[in-house]
Amino acid sequence: MFNAVDARVVMVKGFVVSVLAGMLGGLLTFGAAQAAELNVVATNSSMGALARTVGAGRVQVTMLASPDRDLHMLQAKPTMIRALRDADLVVAVGAELEVGWLPVAIGSAANPRILPGQPGYFEAAAQVDLLEGGSPADRTLGDVHPVGNPHVNMDPVRMAIVASAMSERMAQLDPAGGETYRANARSFAAAVEQRMDAWQARLAGAPGVVLYHRDALYLLDRFGVQLLGTIEEIPGVPPTAQQIKTLSEKLRDRSGVIVYAPYASAQAPERLAKSLGWEARRLSLDPPMGADGSGYLDHIDLWVQTLAPAR
Amino acid sequence: MKCYNINSGGTLTDGLAIRHRLTRGSELQIAIALALLTPMTAFPATDNEIAELRAMVDQMKSQYERRIQDLESRLAKAERDATKAATRSDADEVPLEQADRIASTESQPMTAPPVMPPASPESGKTGLGALSSGNAFNPQISVFLDGNYYHDGIDGEGATLVGLAYQPSRGADQVHDHEEDGDHAHGLTENGFNFREAEIAFSATVDPYFDGSLFLAIDGDGTVELEEGYFQTRSLPAGLRVKGGKFLSDFGYINRQHPHQWDFVDQNLPYLNLLGPHGLQDTGLQLTWLPKLPFYTLLGVEGLQGNQEIFGATLGDDDRAALELGDTDDGPRLWTAFAKVAPDIGINHALQLGLSYANNNQHQEVQEHTHAHGDDDAQDDDYEIEIHRSGLAGDARLWGVDLVYKYDGGGAHGHKSFKFQSEYLRSIKDMTITSSVHPEIIGSRRTFTTDGLYAQAIYGFAPKWTAGLRYDVLGMTNEISDGGKDAGFGSSDRWTFDVTWNLSEFSRLRAQYAHNDILVAPGERERFDAFYLQFLVSMGSHGAHAF
Repeated sequence: MFNAVDARVVMVKGFVVSVLAGMLGGLLTFGAAQAAELNVVATNSSMGALARTVGAGRVQVTMLASPDRDLHMLQAKPTMIRALRDADLVVAVGAELEVGWLPVAIGSAANPRILPGQPGYFEAAAQVDLLEGGSPADRTLGDVHPVGNPHVNMDPVRMAIVASAMSERMAQLDPAGGETYRANARSFAAAVEQRMDAWQARLAGAPGVVLYHRDALYLLDRFGVQLLGTIEEIPGVPPTAQQIKTLSEKLRDRSGVIVYAPYASAQAPERLAKSLGWEARRLSLDPPMGADGSGYLDHIDLWVQTLAPAR
Repeated sequence: MKCYNINSGGTLTDGLAIRHRLTRGSELQIAIALALLTPMTAFPATDNEIAELRAMVDQMKSQYERRIQDLESRLAKAERDATKAATRSDADEVPLEQADRIASTESQPMTAPPVMPPASPESGKTGLGALSSGNAFNPQISVFLDGNYYHDGIDGEGATLVGLAYQPSRGADQVHDHEEDGDHAHGLTENGFNFREAEIAFSATVDPYFDGSLFLAIDGDGTVELEEGYFQTRSLPAGLRVKGGKFLSDFGYINRQHPHQWDFVDQNLPYLNLLGPHGLQDTGLQLTWLPKLPFYTLLGVEGLQGNQEIFGATLGDDDRAALELGDTDDGPRLWTAFAKVAPDIGINHALQLGLSYANNNQHQEVQEHTHAHGDDDAQDDDYEIEIHRSGLAGDARLWGVDLVYKYDGGGAHGHKSFKFQSEYLRSIKDMTITSSVHPEIIGSRRTFTTDGLYAQAIYGFAPKWTAGLRYDVLGMTNEISDGGKDAGFGSSDRWTFDVTWNLSEFSRLRAQYAHNDILVAPGERERFDAFYLQFLVSMGSHGAHAF
């Protein structure tokens, strides 16, 4: 009996000692130098691409979500918390798009530098004017965002504005790189500017688009492409067969294209496409994970080609 | 250079000019109306009335002026934003002072305004009232409603029985085992409709140093219970955080989840029986540390008061005196330590492993056994059942190992997502007999060991639909040891299957079937099927998708 008690005391002590040893070991590695000047965590690949471009050469970018996942539905994972723990700057799309998980992850990351209100917290949506702001906070309308449509990453012009604001923020956090960041943001804006005319020309007379969700609204608004309808009538609520039928009847004599996100159910868009004889395209709202600024512009190119009238 | 801006200053200015005219017009109208109205009154107005009318007019005037000022300032801001946007899209250099202003105002998250800007003059907006920020400082509020229809084949006793699976040590719970208040924690579930609880959650940032949270549970009878109420630090350096107050311990994985976060209607057998319906919920302090290691590692310790029902119970004054158990020690009596590790296994996968330990350095317990005297067939007054109560005092330890794996399948509304979760708990209570009618055993030691395991998997088989399967068992080891011989009692186990329909992010319906095989007393088993239909709705602030 005494031996058993003794053994358990040893066991308990062993565990407590190993926890303490772990703490000590961590303390020793704490402060290990980072190669990059700024450690940036971007919530998705659009924000990641922008951070890479603006911070080129001086920042290390980690992304929390891949472009084929719904940024609104993610869960706060331990690996996200780990990434945020050492971040100097967190770059989000914002306007409550990441509301389900980013505040939880930031809260758990024990990193006061990136708390909302600190220079280390940056929301793209807070840097530009938003569409559809001031809608009623009424959940019968689905998962609405009264603050405005959050998907600003689909507008290259707004993204150029965001890049400029981001460069100022990076300059504030890393003054030595201020000129680099500002110059990078200027060249991104110039690159956007350079493609604008071609995009505008390509989208002149575009027949219009049916989206699954109002997530590419900023792109349509920028180039005057008509939104003919949405597959889901209410955000976050899948359509009924009747709704698709009604939509199909309404659009019977028109031409257009249907675009839906990789994480949306393909069933309804494909059914609508079939009944209208249109093309349904599955397109991500964000560029591939490795994209930088030009990768982002290529991503917009892809959307422009999809929306453009047939030549 | 072109300027692709959506707002053009010109149209806005025009709009405001019109509003200016309108508001001035209405002021004029009021004046005329008053002028017309005055002579129509049959008797001359008293000085008082005139003063009142004048005050009213003045008040209206000031209100309109305020509205105009408000509009003007909003216009000015819109113009500023437009110019700012224009300069930025033209890629001109943003002046340094402007950049500072941007930086200081735009690192706030965009959130919905709690109140719409007043469209009509409000009483609080007169020159007489104090300027206030209204309810802008109110905490975020969420409300969860959780109710069910329940049926089992044993007259509705099943829902209580699963929490009373036999183990040699039950703590204070055993004392009022046979009383009516059996499961007072979340209301007694009976056959038919049950309102389990309404949970109200408040959270807010207290100041630059603390966040605060409060969770209240109201059960079907209207009894309010404090589930959690704690503060947590915001700005400690080096990955440290401190939490204080009443909270759910970070021991294990499922312990800190509230019932509306569970993947099944009810709690698993190990938690329910080794920790009670509340889990490890206590008052104290927690220190966690997120070290700068290559992968997620969270280390934490907690010092808690130790007022538990099963794991480290202390008895009432009368029992303590009668059974010579000694006084209740000063708190904190319950200590926990935990470590959680999450290797990076890809952006759409998550894995977390945890090891937890808890020690309650005071546990008291009453053991009852009966002696029958006389002959059952003899006359009634000769027959006597004597209940002997023995007191035991010692300490209690609990080990926990947990594993959680999640895969984000990328389908619509949780389609193809998968989650596996398993925990093993082992409770060991070392006690000394302090009183007994059999004096020879006083002072001898008893070790009560009971363990338990659950494993569950959830799969999104269609958009918005998940199916879950759970196996849980209590008492693979379920024994009393007095150093020499061990007495084992056998285990209780259960298979549970459920289907959940997540209509939206804010509501869900669930059907659950369980086959139970519960050891209710040594050598006595109850086998029954139990069925639940559950509704869960959440209102208010957007819920958190915590891991």
